[in-house]
Amino acid sequence: MLLEACSLCYSVLYSSILAVLAGMVRLITHNLLACHAKGCTSNNFPLQFQDAAIELRDAEFNADFLRGFLPRIEWPALVGAARQLGDASLPAEQPEMLDDEFLQKLHHVLLEIHVEEGAMVCPNCKHVYPISNGIPNMLLAEHEIG
Amino acid sequence: MPEVKPTTVASENPQTYEDVHVHAVYDEIAPHFSSTRYKPWPIIAAFLSSLPTGSVGVDLGTGNGKYLPLPSDRPGAVWTIGLDRSINLLKLAKRAGDVDREVVWGDVLDNPWRRGAFDYAISIATIHHLATPERRKVAVQRVLEAICPSHGRALIYVWAIEQDELSKRNIPTDADEDRRHTASTDQAKGQDVFVPWVLAQPAEAKPKTRRREKSGQARTPEPAEAGAEAQQAPPKVFNRYYHMFAKGELCELVADAAKELGLTLGDTSSGDVRETGQSSKEHGVQIVQDGWERSNYYVELRRWER
Repeated sequence: MLLEACSLCYSVLYSSILAVLAGMVRLITHNLLACHAKGCTSNNFPLQFQDAAIELRDAEFNADFLRGFLPRIEWPALVGAARQLGDASLPAEQPEMLDDEFLQKLHHVLLEIHVEEGAMVCPNCKHVYPISNGIPNMLLAEHEIG
Repeated sequence: MPEVKPTTVASENPQTYEDVHVHAVYDEIAPHFSSTRYKPWPIIAAFLSSLPTGSVGVDLGTGNGKYLPLPSDRPGAVWTIGLDRSINLLKLAKRAGDVDREVVWGDVLDNPWRRGAFDYAISIATIHHLATPERRKVAVQRVLEAICPSHGRALIYVWAIEQDELSKRNIPTDADEDRRHTASTDQAKGQDVFVPWVLAQPAEAKPKTRRREKSGQARTPEPAEAGAEAQQAPPKVFNRYYHMFAKGELCELVADAAKELGLTLGDTSSGDVRETGQSSKEHGVQIVQDGWERSNYYVELRRWER
């Protein structure tokens, strides 16, 4: 009886640990990744999400970070990826005025949409990069390395 | 007590060699290794603190992600994305500092990024796990390619033959001598070694009265508490491959890597200034600082164009 109670405790504890560990590909990372399979050097960005299971989780808002990072973002890729994941809040063109309302939307899209499972597919060579437990697998088989 | 011992890399397939002597080891020792890796080194912390707010960077060989939460005085001011070959270390890295981090399962010899997408890159205690000079050079090139050609900054740390006197490691000096005598060129040559990681085995199912070793007694080579339990299975020893860098070797590696990428080595005033009217930009990389810190050689780099 005691043993059963303990193993139950353990399984509950274990699953809560797993829940905490369940991680993330967020669009901030997606905006930086590109296909690197052998010979795939053009039209290899942005990767397309496939069968994406998403989770929304709050992240600390930092307006200064967003303002600083904005010039480094490939904007159409970010807008397209967000729409693929069901978020159409960003304008097609980067606005001139970086007001709080816009920065909040940008924050949400970049840092609060987590792709937990699924894959990213190269638009050019169709190489599939799986996402498992929120970690994208960007490893290539030996014959695929450029 | 296990000691650092010299080794020779079987050259047929360095990838397989690293799979066995680096990646498999880290996947097995991940939680224990991680519990001993939490203190950032000062120069790395200072580098990350010097980055402007809004910078995005990559940590190539992030391990348990101990640098992902930095700078500690401005959390969230910069974003570092962690890449590693060990999935078990990444599972720890993605919650480094108990905050969701961005991590990617990948190889430091690959380039799964938009070229020049990052403001900075760090590669700490990673390149010394690559088993040939060619592969170490490629890893440096990946660092240089990941950062922005006009302003990207980078910091690389590797293990030094010259060890801190406080280090618990015992470095094989005889092999060192041989190496010096047989060196055919004037290039700095490092030393290939195995560094043991001692992992305590899980305690027997039947609990016994255990006697704790007094502190200060026979220590394992890493700052780990392995072996502290007296009455259990003997600890398992994993040999990790390292290339220990000689003085000057890291900067030579950077110079070779830069040259092959067509980058001018030096500050923006170095080399021949091209004739005006030439349309293509000249690209270069400057060694901002290099040195030795706590048994490691480091080099800080900055890319430029003119």
